[in-house]
Amino acid sequence: MRRALSTPLALRLRGYVLPLVVLIAVWIYISATTETFRGDAAFFSVLEGFPLMGLVALGLAVTIIAGELDLSVGSMAAVAGAIAVRAADAGLVGAIVIAVAVGTLLGAIQGGLIAKIGINSLVFTIGTLILLRGVAWLLCGNAPLPLEDVTVSDPLLERYGIFSPASITALVVFVIFGLFLAYTRYGREIYAIGGARAEAAAAGVSRTRPLVLAFAISGGLASMAGALATMRGGSAAPENYADLLLAGAAAALLGGISLYGGRGTVLNVAFGVAILTAVTAGLAARGEPNSTVQLVTGVLLLLVIAVEFIASRVARRSTLASDAGNLGPSG
Amino acid sequence: MERAGLRAEQPEPLAAGGAAAPAGGRAEWVPLAIIYGLLAAGTIFVAAITPNFLSASNFEAILRNTALVGIVAVAMTPITLSGNFVSLGISQSAMAAMLGFIFLIREGWSQPIAVLAVLAGLVVIGIAQGFIVSAGLNPVLTTLAAGAIIFGIAAELTEGRVIRMGENRVGWGNDELLGIPLEVVWFAVVTIVVTLLITKTVIGRHTVLTGANRESAEISGISFRWVTIVAFVIFSVGLTIAGILNAGGFGQGEINSLSTLTIDSIAALLVGGVAIAGGEGSPLRSAGGALLIGVISNVMVLNDFSTGGRLAVQGGVVVIVVILLELLRRRRAVR
Repeated sequence: MRRALSTPLALRLRGYVLPLVVLIAVWIYISATTETFRGDAAFFSVLEGFPLMGLVALGLAVTIIAGELDLSVGSMAAVAGAIAVRAADAGLVGAIVIAVAVGTLLGAIQGGLIAKIGINSLVFTIGTLILLRGVAWLLCGNAPLPLEDVTVSDPLLERYGIFSPASITALVVFVIFGLFLAYTRYGREIYAIGGARAEAAAAGVSRTRPLVLAFAISGGLASMAGALATMRGGSAAPENYADLLLAGAAAALLGGISLYGGRGTVLNVAFGVAILTAVTAGLAARGEPNSTVQLVTGVLLLLVIAVEFIASRVARRSTLASDAGNLGPSG
Repeated sequence: MERAGLRAEQPEPLAAGGAAAPAGGRAEWVPLAIIYGLLAAGTIFVAAITPNFLSASNFEAILRNTALVGIVAVAMTPITLSGNFVSLGISQSAMAAMLGFIFLIREGWSQPIAVLAVLAGLVVIGIAQGFIVSAGLNPVLTTLAAGAIIFGIAAELTEGRVIRMGENRVGWGNDELLGIPLEVVWFAVVTIVVTLLITKTVIGRHTVLTGANRESAEISGISFRWVTIVAFVIFSVGLTIAGILNAGGFGQGEINSLSTLTIDSIAALLVGGVAIAGGEGSPLRSAGGALLIGVISNVMVLNDFSTGGRLAVQGGVVVIVVILLELLRRRRAVR
């Protein structure tokens, strides 16, 4: 980021061109072929992708930027949903805050263990994926857990034009983390350990703090996503949100977050979420089942990692610079 | 490839020096002894506190429930050994094998032909994934995406309905060989065959070497692509066996059949102590991990644990074992 800020504007914006073009193309195609995806309704449904898939994608993106991956986000969201329902006596905001606090703490513990033990994050978070899923079952009492007082969640059901309370919350969170990652020292440390871990260590960046932060953010945001969606739906279910990992990862990478770490911004995530939500909304409007959404998401995920891989190969060939942390060559 | 973190072939700097313990050497016996020691100790302990645990029928139940997970975990071991982590699309592939077999039998295909057709299909899917992963794409996300694609296609083809074998139902579903259930026999066969493949063949040794240190393996002429593709083929054969055995047992299935297989078999592999960064572990350890989890689940069922309780304990065991093994490995690396 430090580098990005000192480079010409054109170079800084280059990472957004492709996602923007894809988004516009997808938008035009879907609104042309789907009657319900037009005007305000289209904007509303795309914005509605941000509270659930968007927040998860943002958290995942932070761990990917740090050069890791948090596979436990789906289970974390389910746990948070159950906590929010159990804590509904604290009021809507109180319940969500409690769920997010627990998720952030769990995430921070994960990050701390990953950093301190030097364990691979994929392995560790597969373990916590299973563990937290079990916790979600226990918290739900092994059955769907409805809100006792459904009126608690009424404010979430309102709608202001193309916005809803949930989408406004999510957008505010996007702005906050966009600023945090780009302009604070802690945020830049996350980029540093992801882009070039050895160099970052040599420059005196400890990997503990950025990893704890990255996993705390991903745990907290997955929890916020789960809590918001669960309160809105009025009921927590132990098997919920298992598909979120696929959708979140696909959205983050579609927007241009680099799987190789250290690159991509919150704006990239936002583009990715918008693209994937538009596609999902288009499929849903045609009455396609969830399995088709998964199919398309899977294809998009494969495509985008393949494209990035090929691009990195081409880039590597066309440059002599071997420094992994460089913004990259002109090819 | 030069970046840290997500890349399979890039172990953490700390582990790079010492993790390359040779498989089959003395170091291999310690974790193996720990797993089977734990298994024996745990079994004796729960036998003392749990009525019915020691009955022959209960042992059969444990082995039966463990068999499918064990077959998959053992067959996945070469993928992990070669440094390609694990597949996150296990359930979907096994489900595809199961539904494919049921469909072909219902359509009146003869059993051997149906088996071969399903095997061919699964192997093609496996080779495709192995090819993509060996090109350097993230294996976890590739298999996750592949799983979603397979699931979507299967849902499309079956329209979400239950597929039944109908009047052509196969007769061997609940067969036994010398009193041992069929799937348990297959579990043993797969474990033996994969063990022999890893320890006695050139490609097996190459697999372990590649996982231990990919760079030096490639310098000495080992093809990462070939190793990875072979690992995915072995995995696909295991998935086919598991899917067809399940098809024979139930005679029907739908897209959500076998949905817990992904988590269960990864848990077995991790509890077995197969180093996920590659180069360390063995099919026998994965089998031990599957049995250990099988015994734990069984005890919890006998003691009326809920689904959540069982899943939480299983996850807890995985997390603890993963942490302990990592600490062990680091101590060895420091020495």
